[in-house]
Amino acid sequence: MDSLITAAARAMAVGDVLGALKRVALRDDPPALAIRGIAMARLGDFARARSLLKAAAAGFAPTELVYRARCILAQAEIDLASRDLAESSSDLDDARTTLEHSGDRVNAAHAGHLQVRRLVLIGRLREADQILSGLSPAALPPAYQAAHELVIAALNVRRLHAASARSAIQRAKTAARAARSQVLLAEVDRAIASLEFPAAKLIRQGHEQAIKLEEVERILASNTTVVVDGCRRSIYLAGRSVDLAKRPVLFALARALAKAWPQEATRSTLLIDAFGARQVDESHRARLRVEIGRLRAELLSVCGLIATPGGYALSPQEGCELVLLDPPQDGPHAGLLGVLSDGEAWSSAALALVLGRSQRSVQRALEALAGAGKVRSHGDGRSRRWIAPPIPGFPTGLLLMNSITPV
Amino acid sequence: MKQSDAEILREYGPFDGVEGVHGVTFDGERIWFASGERLNALDSDSGAVVGSIDVAAHAGTAFDGEHLFQIAGTRILKVDPKTGAVVGSIPAPGDGAASGLAWSEGSLWVGQFADRQIHEIDPADGKVLRSVDSDRQVTGVTWIDGELWHGFWQDEQSGLRRLDPTSGQVLEAVRMPSGAVVSGLESDGRDRFFCGGGPSGLVRAVQKPPR
Repeated sequence: MDSLITAAARAMAVGDVLGALKRVALRDDPPALAIRGIAMARLGDFARARSLLKAAAAGFAPTELVYRARCILAQAEIDLASRDLAESSSDLDDARTTLEHSGDRVNAAHAGHLQVRRLVLIGRLREADQILSGLSPAALPPAYQAAHELVIAALNVRRLHAASARSAIQRAKTAARAARSQVLLAEVDRAIASLEFPAAKLIRQGHEQAIKLEEVERILASNTTVVVDGCRRSIYLAGRSVDLAKRPVLFALARALAKAWPQEATRSTLLIDAFGARQVDESHRARLRVEIGRLRAELLSVCGLIATPGGYALSPQEGCELVLLDPPQDGPHAGLLGVLSDGEAWSSAALALVLGRSQRSVQRALEALAGAGKVRSHGDGRSRRWIAPPIPGFPTGLLLMNSITPV
Repeated sequence: MKQSDAEILREYGPFDGVEGVHGVTFDGERIWFASGERLNALDSDSGAVVGSIDVAAHAGTAFDGEHLFQIAGTRILKVDPKTGAVVGSIPAPGDGAASGLAWSEGSLWVGQFADRQIHEIDPADGKVLRSVDSDRQVTGVTWIDGELWHGFWQDEQSGLRRLDPTSGQVLEAVRMPSGAVVSGLESDGRDRFFCGGGPSGLVRAVQKPPR
């Protein structure tokens, strides 16, 4: 690759975006278009960045696989930053393989990090782990080691492993200092701050309290606390778990019972909470009996469920207590607000993907939240994006450090 | 045209703080390579980096027996390897499109990547004296035993070619293994080439094909 492209890429790598642009502003050859695209992305003009990168990719010969792979990489990073997660990542997978084979370990690792971030965002943690374990940061320059540790931290936050997340962030800080990168140091600071924010609301015998990630982890690790977890829609005790994410009625019953514990939850409360019933009749009671029976069978390994004179009650085994965890935000669309709390602009398609819900139902919820002034949108049609007032939570800024590594 | 596969004798690196190798030259003892913001001196026996000069180093590197020449942005810098001082500079041909650099018999030879050309220029003022056309994207350039060689990287294949400096005719080609990019190029004056490995951050020693 030629001298000015290298100079521009170096400028970009140290955060001098305008310096990089200045060097290639008058050039329209594909490598220069690619650098201009990355610069525009750094400046926040994603639409212009996308069109420049597309033009760059089209300008390279079909056989110039490495250049094209780097363009795909840059576009994938923009997709991630603008929360366009619906696109499949198979292109990125191919790009990573191409970069690995060509000896471009730095960009190959960067591609891996993007894949992991995307998978963490959409909650596919096992796949994220698989890719992460195939990457070896030791051979990477410090900036990429820092990015690697931040990815590990994000994964551990999602797994509720607070201590592992903190130590990964510390390693990221050391590497970011070695790389002398202000962008990365800011990212590290955001990640540290995010661990201080409430991760959940703890409801214990009628008392409510906001708790941090460490406390969530501690409660889940307890051998004597049954946790009804409204964030993950599961019930935990001593390492055992019952996943009710795909059984909303059963989970709604469990949550209503946990909220009332150690008291009973009356039939009418349960019918209103779980079935949305307004008037209670005999057919509802029959259905409640059936669903309670199903829930009792599901809960067998973690908690008992007994009939009481007025309704039902959870009955943990002797010596155990029971708590309810709720998302930190209140209201019917807490999960949606939780995802939006990263402060980025999301498409409704990406939100639907992350939440495992239909796009239509997400759109309805967004419109309700917008009516209540809790979210804002900009753009129209497919380019419409939704944002909520930022609460730091998930570290993913736009890194685009060196996607066009020159020869 | 004679064709062969490269015999890689040794790989140096990767090195701390080096993300890519852009230019390579040899001062008789040490291999110098350009890595963006730095020229690094590499002991060819031990494989250790034994010194460095902080200077913009974006593409080709050459040595005239006394000074190092280094392409940086749109210029070619003349660097004193003992003090690290930049003692002069001339414009590089192609307004920043230069890639490789070599010294031979009083002239500098400058590879132009996308233009697939090698220019012979006057080291005093950068004036182009003659141009040789290649049929590949030129990375590094070097002279060995009166032969003009250049590295290329195109269509995912990299290697070395020997050109007739008058006609540009390809006389000989050496294929690098898949994934082994040649960025900078220099010879040790006898039977080895030193090849910059681009984004791999490696420097490779390659056997010159026997005569």
